[in-house]
Amino acid sequence: MIKRSMIKNSLLGLLTALACSSAIAAETGVVLKPDQLRADAFSDAKVVGNVTKNDTVDILNKKGAWLQIKSTGKTGWVRLLTVKRNSAGGNNVAGVVGVATGRSGTGKVVSTTGIRGLSAEDLKTAQFNEAETKKLESYTVSADEAKQFAASGGLSSRQYPYFQGASQP
Amino acid sequence: MNHRLLNKNLLKQAVMLAICSGMMAGTAVALDLKGVLKDAVNEQLGGKTEQPAQANEGQNTSAQDKLANINWKNPSQEDEIAVGRNVTGTILGAAPLVNDAKLQAYVNKVGRWVASQSERTSLPWHFGVIDSTDVNAFAAPGGYVLITKGLYQRLTSEAQLAGVLGHEIAHIVQRHHLKVMQKQALMDAGTSFLKEKISKNKITQRAVTTGAEISARNLDKRAEYEADSMGTVLAARAGYDAYGLAEVLQEMELLGNNDGSVALLFQTHPHPDDRVAQLSLVSGDQIDKISGGKTLENRLYKLK
Repeated sequence: MIKRSMIKNSLLGLLTALACSSAIAAETGVVLKPDQLRADAFSDAKVVGNVTKNDTVDILNKKGAWLQIKSTGKTGWVRLLTVKRNSAGGNNVAGVVGVATGRSGTGKVVSTTGIRGLSAEDLKTAQFNEAETKKLESYTVSADEAKQFAASGGLSSRQYPYFQGASQP
Repeated sequence: MNHRLLNKNLLKQAVMLAICSGMMAGTAVALDLKGVLKDAVNEQLGGKTEQPAQANEGQNTSAQDKLANINWKNPSQEDEIAVGRNVTGTILGAAPLVNDAKLQAYVNKVGRWVASQSERTSLPWHFGVIDSTDVNAFAAPGGYVLITKGLYQRLTSEAQLAGVLGHEIAHIVQRHHLKVMQKQALMDAGTSFLKEKISKNKITQRAVTTGAEISARNLDKRAEYEADSMGTVLAARAGYDAYGLAEVLQEMELLGNNDGSVALLFQTHPHPDDRVAQLSLVSGDQIDKISGGKTLENRLYKLK
């Protein structure tokens, strides 16, 4: 009895380990811009290496706006926009599996029958709703109220220019 | 098929083409191949440049009057608001507000604070969460922003909400939708000179219908990338962590293409993969110079 449950447990453990490691292995990405690899998920953490554009990396973990990656044997953290995740986008295996099982990777039941919630057609045929519009307008807050709200969360206004950069590759 | 119908179809195609090929910013009329068309448009839409105040009339009548008298050639801020109000009311006709006054008040405070960092602080900004499980958000001219409950529920911090609202605010600041609607109205005016007499009212009605649809439908890809880039900066100016919108976009990358809740979003926006890549490119190292922003996970209002 004991033996059997032990075998069961170790089998389960093995399966879980397999499932986890394959999930991690499936998460890869491509480096979008050169960046420093840091020992931890904050901007003044120790630099442990570098990544260069178009490097393929394994994505190990995510913490806020940071990703833990493994690149050419080195493990470290980079900001979110340094790496493009390429596991879920496009009509890839996950998508195909999603259709086959009726579930997507997020565990949500997927509609494959064309039920799509708010469609472009819904919006085209919708009728103007005056009551809801008035209700929406009734929630409007003034700039001063918003400022107070911001201050209560410790937010203060800062001056940054809009990004100057190529808008199209 | 009669000629009129044929003509209408052609026009529709032309509109789609105009939108898809990204003729957003220009003031040129897409079908304006001959000067004569321009004259006709001028004649029909030039008209008033100022709206008379309708103080004594009921709000509905006044709103309708405003709508009927839109100067499509050169819309005033008041015109823009009247158009946006109608587009928004139409979206609300498809999905009403979530019945939670605290939620709506909260979203208005965050949204208004982010909008206050933009170049259009004088607009009467309105924000609302609509009752739909879809993952999406909408902007309409004049300061109207709606976000679906489906998207709201995926957010994990106030900084993320600020980023999403920042994207929509940027659309309004740049008048992205208004410009597409103007194009539609001006083309309709041109066609009416050539084929049939469409009343100005009808032209506005059609432009607004287009507006409701295009608030969800393909804007130019560049307009979306621009809104991502500007929205990120607006949230940062408001004191938030600059990566809020990037985080949301990355979460969306993880939703499959077959997830019905993002069907419309994916139809109408570039794929999140491309948006993340584009935002990365445009922000370059400038985003790294933004530090000390707040994420405020705990203040994000939890839906009942």
